This record gives sequence, C-alpha cells and structure tokens, in this order.
Amino acid sequence: MDSILELQRVTAGYKSIKGFKSLIKRVEIVLRDISFTVEKGERVAIIGESGSGKTTILRVILGLLKPISGKVLIYGKDLYSLPSDQKLQILRRIGYVPQDPYRSLNPVLKIKYIVGEPLEAVGVEWRHIEERASEVLKIVGLPQSIINDTAEELSGGMRQRVLIARAIIAEPEILVLDEPTSALDVSIQAQIINLLNSIYNTFKVTMITVTHDLGVAQYLADRLIILKSGKIVEEGSVDEVLRNPKSEYTKSLITSYLQITGINSLNNIKIRG
Amino acid sequence: MVLAVRAGGISIGYIDEEEEYIVWAVRGVDLAIEEGDAFCLVGESGSGKTTFASAIAGILPPHAVTRGKLYIFDRLAIDESTWNFNGLRGRVVSYIPQNPGTSLSPFLTVEDHFYYVLRDTLRYDREKSRKAAMEALLKVGLDRGVLEDYPHELSGGMQQRVLIAIALASNAKIIVADEPTSAIDANLRASVLQLLGRLNREYRVTLLLVTHDLASTSIVCNRLAVMLAGKIVETGRTISVLRNPQHPYTKMLLDCVPLLGVKKPLKPLPGEPIQVVEDKAICPFRERCPRAIDKCVEEPPLKPVGDEENHYVKCWRLTGVESG
Repeated sequence: MDSILELQRVTAGYKSIKGFKSLIKRVEIVLRDISFTVEKGERVAIIGESGSGKTTILRVILGLLKPISGKVLIYGKDLYSLPSDQKLQILRRIGYVPQDPYRSLNPVLKIKYIVGEPLEAVGVEWRHIEERASEVLKIVGLPQSIINDTAEELSGGMRQRVLIARAIIAEPEILVLDEPTSALDVSIQAQIINLLNSIYNTFKVTMITVTHDLGVAQYLADRLIILKSGKIVEEGSVDEVLRNPKSEYTKSLITSYLQITGINSLNNIKIRG
Repeated sequence: MVLAVRAGGISIGYIDEEEEYIVWAVRGVDLAIEEGDAFCLVGESGSGKTTFASAIAGILPPHAVTRGKLYIFDRLAIDESTWNFNGLRGRVVSYIPQNPGTSLSPFLTVEDHFYYVLRDTLRYDREKSRKAAMEALLKVGLDRGVLEDYPHELSGGMQQRVLIAIALASNAKIIVADEPTSAIDANLRASVLQLLGRLNREYRVTLLLVTHDLASTSIVCNRLAVMLAGKIVETGRTISVLRNPQHPYTKMLLDCVPLLGVKKPLKPLPGEPIQVVEDKAICPFRERCPRAIDKCVEEPPLKPVGDEENHYVKCWRLTGVESG
C-alpha cells in the first residue's frame, strides 16, 4: 500500500503550569494512543467537537508539536527523529489552510506577498513568484485585480480563497485543512467545498480535513475518523459511517445534525398557527 | 392579535468614515412580527439581517442613519431619524449575541453577570437577582452551581445557555438572537436551537432569530423572511417557504445546504454579496440570477404566492410578466 502519512500510537499534549506557588509543570494529555494511516490520493476527514484534539492532530502532522510517545511517519520517514533540514524538506510537501480567515492573514501585507510566502521561503526569485501567484489566484477564482490589495479589503469567502491559494502555490502533495468553512456563510461554504474538490481532482493531492461539521465532511472526504476526547471512536468510509454508525457517539453526532426539515420530515415538527 | 414588531418602510444605513456616502444595509423594509411568533431572518453576510435585528434590539451604532418607522409593541422606537429605545432596550427586547465566548466578561462570575443586568433593567438587589438567576438557569437546563463559575470554566454551549438565561431573567417579551449557533460546535447547535424553540412555545417569548442557515430556521421558527441586499425577497410560514420556495435566491440558498447522507451536488450561489451604496430601485438579485429578464432592472413588488396564507415573494418572474 502507498501510505503517505501514518500515525503510530501517538500520544501528545501540552505543558501547563498549575498553581502559582509551586509552579509545577504538568502535561495535559490531549491525544491518547492515536493510530491511523492515510493513503496517497485519499480524502480523509477528522471529526470531533471542541476539545477533542482535532487541531492537535494537525499540529502533530505539521511538525509543530512533538508527541510524547509514538511516531509520525510521512513518506515512511519518522518526522520527529529527522534532522531539521530533512524535516523541513518533508514539511514543504504539505500545504496548510488555517482555521480562521479573519485572523490568519496579515492585515498590512499585499495579497501577492501573502500568497507568495511559501515560495519566497524556499528562495524562489521574486519575478517567478509574482507570475505563479497570479496563476494560483486564477485557480482559486479570485480576480487578478486584488493582487495589490490588502486582506482588509476582502470578504470572508475571498480571504478563504487567498488562504487556499497560499496553501497550493508550492504544489504540495498533501493538503491539510483546519475547519475550512466554519467561519463562512452556507452559500459561500458551498463555493469553497466545490473549489477544494476541484483542486483535489486537478492536482491529485491527498486531502486531510478537520471539521466539526459532518455535512461538510461528507463532501470533502471519502473516509471519516471520528474523534472523542483524544481517542478515535470510529473509522470508516463516509457511506459506512453515516448509514451504519457503530459507536454511540457517532450516532449522537448524526442525530443532532441540523437538517433542513422542511423537505422530508417537517411534519414531525410542531408548528403553531 | 398583538404585533410585537412593526416596521414601516424602514431603511438603515451607515455613514462612511469620510462622510462621503451612506451604505444602506436595510432598504425600505415592511415587516410585522406577531407576539409569540418565532420569526427568522435568513440571509447571507451583508444582507442587512444583523443591522435590522440590532435596530429592533435598540443597539444601532451612533453612525447609523435611519428612515421610516419602527414600532415595538405599539411604541414608536424609530421615527425617521429620531430613536427612542428608553424602556425598551434590555427591558422589552433582549439580545443574545453571536459569540458567547467574547460576550461574557472573563472577570465576572455568572452570578455577577445576572446581577449587573438585572440591577440596571429591573432595579433588582443581589438577593432578588440571585433568585431570578436560579429560576432562569433552571429553564435553560443548567445547574445552579454555575452561578459561582467564571465564563472560562463553561463550555461554549453552556456559555450560550447562560446568555439565553440572562435574556430570560430580564423578563423580556422579545428575544433577538443573532446567529446564536455559529460559534458553537455542530453537535451542540441542535440543543441550543431546541432550547430557544421551547422558550418560545412555553413562555410565549417572541423570538427573532437571525441566521444564514436555513437548517436552523426549520427547527425553531414558524415564520421566516429571506433578506437580500437589504430587502425582503420572500416571506411566509416556514413550512410553505421551505416546501415551496418561489424566489430564485431562496431556491439557490436551499441548494447549497449539505444534507447528511444524501449525495447531491452542492450548487453554490454565484458571485459575492453586493454592497448597496445607491438606493436604486432594481431587483437586488438581478446580476446573480440565472433567470433574470429585462424587466428585472425595475424593482418587483412583494406579491402573494398562490393560495398560501402570508406567503409573499418579490420577483417579476412570478407576477405574470414571464408569459408576456
């Protein structure tokens, strides 16, 4: 099998300081014994509520948080035991779209600098960067005219497109998305979902999405990993999990999902008047 | 029949920083919300739904300009450019903000939050406010133990419940909830919405829910209005609008909501929401509408739909022009 990413019994957490007098350092464990594999070209979604450790998983994958125990294998190499230059080599093959488009863009930088940053970091010449930046802006459906604007002038949906453009400019093989639509309107959400899927189809990337929204996951993934309090409670294909959920937690996620009840089952809902 | 909110041709705009022009967020809206209704304003960012809701809650910013009239329980709150929310704001109308995490002070306990609100609105003392707080917390399904907690000790869903309880304790007749579920997890949304629906049914509180999500509407509200570029383009009973949407915008809005377990392609709305500077009388959806006709440069009237009671739509296509 062609596994591109593998987490082997990863336990991770954050240091915290409890008590002012003693200053005892403690480690708050967030992820407990997490193992999963992502194949090349797969679309995987990690689902969980706030505090379940979804973002922590991404931090571990992105090389930002060293796990307490366990291994993170990317292209078969143990990320955290590599020397830092080789680690960077591997991390450059990952594109990352952060969570909040309103807080993830530098408000004073022009869009071309924001989008070109990943190339600038690897020492590409500026004239090539500018060319490439306008190419990716076209791919994500933004007008060329914004290239000299700052992010302040853009709407939420446009900001999210800028973040996606920045993530794909260096032609990554893995695309990691942290809640790509949770800050957006439903109508813009649909635009972004379709854009991400067309990027997936054109560039044949491996896509890992973190979300708390099953509806979004259904469109952005083929396989779901359901996380609860730092543990994987269920894993399987989208159809399998939605049709036939095994764990109680998944069942409750599905039943509490907000549907438009007007279409099939509005009769079940009491309406006065 | 008592009308909780009556808006007559109300327009609300914001003066641009250089005071060169006014951006009109709400443009000539006529709306009546009956007492005891659970009414929903649906629309995308920039459609003016939050502006309209904050006008009802009496919390318009000072650089807002208004035209038209707004009555709250037959009291004139906005009369052209004069506002009079004294005795209404916080007492008759209460407001639940969007983001519970940033709306509660990190240095005050839940009990203090209740006290400062109830002291100012109802002149309650400590003891009375504590009693009212405990009653309200019970109604929203929280333990009285949270009174001593600080906001950071509560989860997002609990914080939102605290805010709802504060709105309840002030004995408000109208609760305005601005996107109450957009900042909390998907699995908690249903329970917060169901709570709002229950309060509306059991305590006869008039509810005005502001959201961009038609799914939330269908759970709580019995009536809805779809807003677009500051105008209401379709309004009616939730059941009839969702089963039988007439305006192309409403139809497209329904198409972009994911349905769990149903593989249908998502059809996003084309284009970005527009900002209206000039108050031209055109159909606001014209440029993004796949079915636009020549007539659409004029503003369509709000016409009733078929035999459905109270179902109105603002579209030339449905007023017989199509055939001609």
